[in-house]
Amino acid sequence: MAGGGGGGDGEPEFQVAPMIDVLLVLLIFFMSITSAQVLKVDKNIALPVASHGVKRDDKAAAGLINISWDKNTGQAKYKLDDRELDINDKDGIAKELAARKGTNEKFRLLIRADRQCHAKYISKALEWGAEAGIDNIAFSGLNREE
Amino acid sequence: MKQAPQEMPADAGFQIAPMIDVVFVIMLFFMVMAGAVKVEHELKTTLPGNAETAKETEMPDEITIGVSENGTITINEDPVGQPNDKTLENLYNEMSKMATAAKQSKTKLLITVQAEEAAKYERVINVLDVLARADITNVTFAVAEPE
Repeated sequence: MAGGGGGGDGEPEFQVAPMIDVLLVLLIFFMSITSAQVLKVDKNIALPVASHGVKRDDKAAAGLINISWDKNTGQAKYKLDDRELDINDKDGIAKELAARKGTNEKFRLLIRADRQCHAKYISKALEWGAEAGIDNIAFSGLNREE
Repeated sequence: MKQAPQEMPADAGFQIAPMIDVVFVIMLFFMVMAGAVKVEHELKTTLPGNAETAKETEMPDEITIGVSENGTITINEDPVGQPNDKTLENLYNEMSKMATAAKQSKTKLLITVQAEEAAKYERVINVLDVLARADITNVTFAVAEPE
């Protein structure tokens, strides 16, 4: 990109070209760390704060269950990734989770629930995990308050 | 006074100063965003009743932390956290002591978080967060059946 300035005997002048190089490098650095951490969460789910949890490992295989909470009805809605689940089809959900797990012993079930959601609805998701033979459970939260 | 019409130069050329201005503004934006960005954290647990029976297992010290519907936290039925207490310092102190004692006596500490059916997820996460803070990893989660 920008070339180096020529040498001279007099006082060194302020060089714009290397400054632009440094600026662009800093810009790319900040752009990459910002975009890499953008949170992809269902808008209907207000996650609680879990500041001491470990940062989510996106590379590790996981079945992601989103549980949103309807304040008016006092009921929870389940989604496996982006697909809505029929809670009566327990076997179907367990089969799908088992198929995703395959032989991967490290496969985990990631529960991402609304902060108002009741524990009995969480328990239902855990039952599906148990049916599918998944015993690694992770609960999701945010690093800071919204 | 009448101004003379300004003539635009035929070729303005590449202006470095406004480019630096723009780059600075964009960089400032990303620097601020980088500090304020929200990331997802996870708290790991296991399902209860997952012990292998073929091996002889050493029974760990088992502690049950209860999460009630109104948000009260108990350790083996003794209350340690009030519903409005989000940081749960008392629970953290107790857990830290237990974790240290278990380390010294080389035993395993097994914590079961047992929530009532109508306990809120936020409260469960508060408890799991305290356990993560106290560096306790052997945690299982269960929901109490109604009596």
